[in-house]
Amino acid sequence: MDSHLSSIVLKEIENKSVVWFQNSNQYLILENVVAEIVKKLYYENNIEEIAKTLKKNLAIPFEKAFDFIIDIDEQIVKPNKTIKKSILVQNSDFTIPSSFEFIKYYQIAQKVMKVSYSSEFELSLIHPKFAHLEVTKPKKINFSFQTFNNTDHTYLVLDNELIGSWSKKDIHYFQGKFSMKIIESVYEKLEEKWMGIFHASAINHQEDSMLILGDSGNGKSTSLALLQAHGFHCIADDFVPIDDAKNIHSFPAGISIKKNSFPILLDYYPELKSSAEYHYERLNKIVHYLPPKNIDYKKSFPCKTLIFIKYDDNIEFECKEISKLNAFENLIPDSWISSISNNVTVFLNWFSSLSCYQLTYSNNQLMIDSVRKLFKNDL
Amino acid sequence: MKNQDKNTSKDISRKEALHKIGDYGKYAALTALGTYILLNPKKAQAASPTNPNTDF
Repeated sequence: MDSHLSSIVLKEIENKSVVWFQNSNQYLILENVVAEIVKKLYYENNIEEIAKTLKKNLAIPFEKAFDFIIDIDEQIVKPNKTIKKSILVQNSDFTIPSSFEFIKYYQIAQKVMKVSYSSEFELSLIHPKFAHLEVTKPKKINFSFQTFNNTDHTYLVLDNELIGSWSKKDIHYFQGKFSMKIIESVYEKLEEKWMGIFHASAINHQEDSMLILGDSGNGKSTSLALLQAHGFHCIADDFVPIDDAKNIHSFPAGISIKKNSFPILLDYYPELKSSAEYHYERLNKIVHYLPPKNIDYKKSFPCKTLIFIKYDDNIEFECKEISKLNAFENLIPDSWISSISNNVTVFLNWFSSLSCYQLTYSNNQLMIDSVRKLFKNDL
Repeated sequence: MKNQDKNTSKDISRKEALHKIGDYGKYAALTALGTYILLNPKKAQAASPTNPNTDF
């Protein structure tokens, strides 16, 4: 990409500025004055004029103002003008196997996907989360994946077109791309029509939705399962797609339930006891997958609230509004945000309109009541 | 300067994300203006790492 054609997007949030650089796809949270300087440097680059204004506004010596502007240019503007987007080099040296050990069919909305797995390894990466959607051989197939290993990479082919290949250390990107291709196919929207994918759980009540966020192990999925058992609908777990019209869409993967959540959930989901168990030794956990209920693919929902959730044995219940910037710092490193500048503008406008909360609990009923109140805007 | 790429990590701490422009000693106004936070979204769509056969 020609760096002269790239752009930046600025958005003021809570008296600071968020600046996004297209060339590096980085977000910076800056003081408003500095953001204005960055913008001027990016598009005009008249360092002396900018330094004169800063000297006047801050009543500091000109050379200090000048040095400051140079530092901003060197540290923030120049690196973000020159970094090129990394070009993904695809490993094209591969052969599609002539036969596959496992062939599965899954129904999502009105569409059927076929997935051909060359070995148990690929099967283990995909199938557990989608097993509840499996159907026996259907008459019509809408889209067809093939996945196989070759020279230590896992390949993904969709309708005879190579999507990509990933090493073992990047295998979560293989799974992410697989999920992305599902939503592109099911909703018939290409990647550029999606604003982002959040690592969150999404619930809906009536016409609204909320995202539940938090580090792994903080109880996102358990909270989601509890809320689902109390009248809320699960929209998505772990992989939450939002489109460029700011609507959250359903994603039907199973809700990942750790075995240590069973004492909380078995009363509501006795079927968990007999469901398949997956041992993730590296992560030292045992997981079952709970099928989400009542998924309605025809509906998508606006989202006005983020809840950062934490299960803590020592705290019965605490819920407080947190700063959007604090939420932003936590959200960005864990999310894929479209790097198309129009989508970034939509994303930042959407984000600035949200309410963000931190909810810490061990009393399930109080957590459920507070989410109900948040939906009613009554907390 | 420590403006290194911190893509991918969800373990990013505030300390790692926090940066400072220059060193302006007694010019407190510049020091206050010069602190910023740098955040990298994920480079592609990703799932949680939860797979049994990737214990390496």
